[in-house]
Amino acid sequence: MRVEITRFDPDKDEVPKTQEYEIPVQADWKVLDAINYIKDEVDSSISHRWSCRMAVCGSCGMMVNGEPKLTCKTPLSAYSDSIKIEPLANFPIVRDLVVDIDGFMDKFRRVKPWIVRAKERAEDMEALNEKGTYSQSPAELVVFKQFSMCINCLLCYSACPVVANEPEFMGPAAIALGHRYNLDSRDQGDRERNRIFRGAGTVFSCSFANECSEVCPKNVDPAAAVNQAKLGAVIDWAKGLVLPRGGA
Amino acid sequence: MKQLLLRFEPVIWLLFGAGLSIGTMLLTGFVLIVGLAIPLGVVPADALSYERAHMLASNVIGRLVLLGLIALPLWKGAHHLRSLSIDFNGEARDGAVGGLLYLVAIIGSVGGILAVVRL
Repeated sequence: MRVEITRFDPDKDEVPKTQEYEIPVQADWKVLDAINYIKDEVDSSISHRWSCRMAVCGSCGMMVNGEPKLTCKTPLSAYSDSIKIEPLANFPIVRDLVVDIDGFMDKFRRVKPWIVRAKERAEDMEALNEKGTYSQSPAELVVFKQFSMCINCLLCYSACPVVANEPEFMGPAAIALGHRYNLDSRDQGDRERNRIFRGAGTVFSCSFANECSEVCPKNVDPAAAVNQAKLGAVIDWAKGLVLPRGGA
Repeated sequence: MKQLLLRFEPVIWLLFGAGLSIGTMLLTGFVLIVGLAIPLGVVPADALSYERAHMLASNVIGRLVLLGLIALPLWKGAHHLRSLSIDFNGEARDGAVGGLLYLVAIIGSVGGILAVVRL
């Protein structure tokens, strides 16, 4: 099989170039197996990220024939006798197939992806501890579980036309994960997050192209999360007009 | 202008969302009946004769439905065109373009309110 791989050495190259490799492949290989074969047997200078090989770590996302794919989950047999592998679109390239995800990490931190609690009084904590601190029923879990399955592979950022156009857009995964905490029965930070969601370059920049959900390898459906987050931000805004904020 | 749009983004999105639903469902049904079913004789022409249509439209619910049909698709169109403008021009002129488009939607909505009030 002919495999074309993007090569870029920031010390030598002005722009990325493509290098071709001709390799023997096996019927049960994934795309990642082909890259690893080249790295191990043909050209050890190739840089790429991978780890778990079972679609959990989210590190092996790349463009395969122009589409964002998790390469450990994508069978090589889905392609004919040639394949083109590039780094994830919409991210700066660090080297070869490795991209810089610092921008995403900054956006991710902005949505406070952790459980936010109001300061609790000692007597409330005693009552909480008696029934099991922050206990959660299966029905409460199912409300957000789907959105918590995100592995941060960032295929959604590569597919999103808004990210391509406005790099500062918060993007599907960060919003979906923020919304996941807004839906969590143990969390009390939804007002803070909704305020962030109403800021520039967040939920209302999404034009609902739905490409993020099309490419998501974990069926998180980030487009649904973003649009639910829009409604949550609007309801919170409307509440702010008619209800006192209680000093928040 | 960009800051003003950002401040009213929740309202704009609500009107856009409502326009999207109206445009997809009600307006399609409306065009189907008036544009196809009546001319093809599937629905008798006198079903929407002037007197009947006027009676239907001049009660409170009829007026509200008509206002929705007139105003909300304007907000849908304005928001879509603004998104299109961002796709082509980026954020640079978004404030001016968005402001102009929503102004058209506001004028159309006010016109719609006047029209249904004067029915």
